[in-house]
Amino acid sequence: MEEIFDKAEKPKWSQSREVLHRLSKRITAMIGLVIVLIFLISAIFAPFLALHDPLEHSLGHMLAKPSWDYPLGRDELGRCILSRVIYGARISLLIGTMVISIGVLLGAPLGIISAYYGGKVDFIIQRFVDTMLAFPGILLALTLIAMLGVGLANVMIAVGISTIPIYARLARSSVLAIKSRQFVEASRSIGASNFKIILRHLLPNSLSPIIVQSTLHMATAILWAAGLGFLGLGINPPTPEWGAMLNGGRLYIRVAYHVATFPGLMIFITVLGFNLLGDGLRDALDPRLKT
Amino acid sequence: MKKFQNGRFLLFSVLLLFGFFCFTMASVESSWAQAQKKPAEAKPKPKPPAVPQKLIIAQGTDALTMDAHHVIDSPTASIMEHMVEPLLELTPQGEIVPKLAEKWEVSADATEFTIKIKKGIKFHDGEPLNAEAVKVNFDRRLDPKAATKFGFLVAQVASVAVVDEYTVKFKTKAPFAPMVSNLTHSTNGIQSPAALKKSWEKPVPQPVGTGPFIFKEWVPGNKLVMVRNDAYWGKKPTLTELTFRVIPDDASRVVALETGEVHAAVRIPPFDIPRLKANRKLTVVETPSVRTIYMGFNVLKEPFTDKRVRQALNYAVNKTAIVKHILGGVGRVSDAPISPGVFGYSPTMSYEYNVEKAKALLAEAGFPKGFETTLHPAVGRYYMDASVATAVAADLLKVGIKAEIKMMDWATYLPFILRDKEAVEHKLYVLGWGTVTGDADYGLFSLFHSGEWPKKGMAASFYKNEKADQLLEGGRKTANPEQRKKLYKEAMEIIMDDAPWLFLHSEVQITGVNAKVKGLVVHPTERIISKGASIE
Repeated sequence: MEEIFDKAEKPKWSQSREVLHRLSKRITAMIGLVIVLIFLISAIFAPFLALHDPLEHSLGHMLAKPSWDYPLGRDELGRCILSRVIYGARISLLIGTMVISIGVLLGAPLGIISAYYGGKVDFIIQRFVDTMLAFPGILLALTLIAMLGVGLANVMIAVGISTIPIYARLARSSVLAIKSRQFVEASRSIGASNFKIILRHLLPNSLSPIIVQSTLHMATAILWAAGLGFLGLGINPPTPEWGAMLNGGRLYIRVAYHVATFPGLMIFITVLGFNLLGDGLRDALDPRLKT
Repeated sequence: MKKFQNGRFLLFSVLLLFGFFCFTMASVESSWAQAQKKPAEAKPKPKPPAVPQKLIIAQGTDALTMDAHHVIDSPTASIMEHMVEPLLELTPQGEIVPKLAEKWEVSADATEFTIKIKKGIKFHDGEPLNAEAVKVNFDRRLDPKAATKFGFLVAQVASVAVVDEYTVKFKTKAPFAPMVSNLTHSTNGIQSPAALKKSWEKPVPQPVGTGPFIFKEWVPGNKLVMVRNDAYWGKKPTLTELTFRVIPDDASRVVALETGEVHAAVRIPPFDIPRLKANRKLTVVETPSVRTIYMGFNVLKEPFTDKRVRQALNYAVNKTAIVKHILGGVGRVSDAPISPGVFGYSPTMSYEYNVEKAKALLAEAGFPKGFETTLHPAVGRYYMDASVATAVAADLLKVGIKAEIKMMDWATYLPFILRDKEAVEHKLYVLGWGTVTGDADYGLFSLFHSGEWPKKGMAASFYKNEKADQLLEGGRKTANPEQRKKLYKEAMEIIMDDAPWLFLHSEVQITGVNAKVKGLVVHPTERIISKGASIE
């Protein structure tokens, strides 16, 4: 009965404010948040922030060192690295969001249905999830790329599909923990339909681990997309993408360090940011750590 | 997931990691700088035991076939000619000399070619090389069922006759001037008749020729190993073993050369040349190449059916900048579909870099704002090929043409491009063509004659111009060299104007070789010849 009263007493915003409050006490989480915010801002406002057209090349200035006009220097075709890195954030954000969306939208319902109905349904879904989990994620993504061909949409689909089982498992375990709680029983006893119970009670209450996981997953998705780009299996050039930029600069690393270094640093910092934020969120959302 | 108990520890470890990274970078740089300064040490050494004579050469692509009659690319030819030899040989200086043949005679009207074969040569399987064996080889080359490659090299041959045990006579349907040059081609290599009869319609599983090396092992995608042929008819090689390794990535190939993992590496990127030249353990060999790099248009697909569009693209790309900056000046902007050094070459014309003209032509053709298309470049095969393709696409973007670049590896790429005109998907493709017989017929007929469309041939731009067809056929049927040159000049003028290609540049080969290796020859036809090589 506690839960019902908890909910009744506190309006929703105060809960999220409490989470934010707890989050703000953790310095690493705040660093993560700042990094993520910078990443989001540069992705969204790329056209206003970029100094030059990321596709405009000038072979005469290839590999030019960082300068006032080109703060991070120019790449192997004489394009502005800073502008490309900023536009690259856009691609990374897009990939990250789409991957998480595919994973959550397909994985979470699977997990919830699996846990809620139990029995045969649970068995079938979980064996399917087991099969997918048995593949190393990146291998599954590579296989899918080999089948679908390279390209932005295919990268998102491939990496997205390989994250489905994780969300399915996560949602399942949360739902298993709450489905026999009293408020669910109460709802059922007043005649709520399965669909309504899932939508109103199970889904909202299994969200917090999914939120944490998806923040951490954002980092993984960005890393994987960059990895595929580095291998030449990601987005087709000339789209600025961090992994592909890293690969393009690799050939020149001994004569022009900056071409590969800056995209590499961007991947490093962004992934670090999402991981710090994810760790912080996990702690903030963990009811056991409530003090 | 990470389970750090407190944030400070995490922050600390990140800082530590970063510090460590900086330290490593700094130390790598300083040790590298030291290594640069250090002169080569000349320590007096006791006489070392005999150096193992096992040479390793790194190429960018793997062999595509083990059958000489199915060879369609230079890296495969480079491997294959160590095992399977043709009747005649084209020297690096461009002269045709006998190889398995003793001598040859050509009738005045260039329809009869009599070849005397050297006596006492045996194939690796012990079969003797004689006129009958040569006939079997060319019977297979001419048999449509055997479906051997580069049929245009021998298509004019009407009959192959055994005159006596060591003499064969080729008769052609009409005068066929390029016949002698064509007999130097790797795809006309002579293989053991016993092996061919076992595998007539399919590529032979392993080469059985007369060459200085015998096939030992092929690990596809990794390496091909050969051992010395102790019964070789010519001067026996010093090397006991020869390996061709596949290292597609330019940077890795250079590193393998620097660490001594391989003795020679093809296609050294321009930015590595100064460093390798400064390294006394290595030599950098620059060899001209008869290879022309082009971006082909599939003229059957919209909008490249329109000559104005094709010309516009030719104007839109800054070829001079590509050669100067991406190739580091190692190359030459094409002024004809074939490169200098080839019989029949003459400077024809080149499309200057002119964005305004390109835009005007596009507007005239109905594309004032450009269009979207796809570009399929070969990657890992030609000098700086990925960068060249990206630069071409970047230039096209300036006139509004958005070309999405789709890269594939070499082994998938060629079959993808060389499909029937109904099945083919490419619109823009980048390929290179080495005129390895040194005769314009090889460089022009095979790529611009309408009878050479894939799947049969290599003319993947599906170009057809009746006048050009006639001229190219004329070039084959005319025996007089001066007259042939005139015909080719006229044909090239038509081709350059029709622009079935975006004419890019001709290559120079940059090969890195370990200084201990002597006698390795890099041929202008892009073959590395190691039969005379040794390791000190």
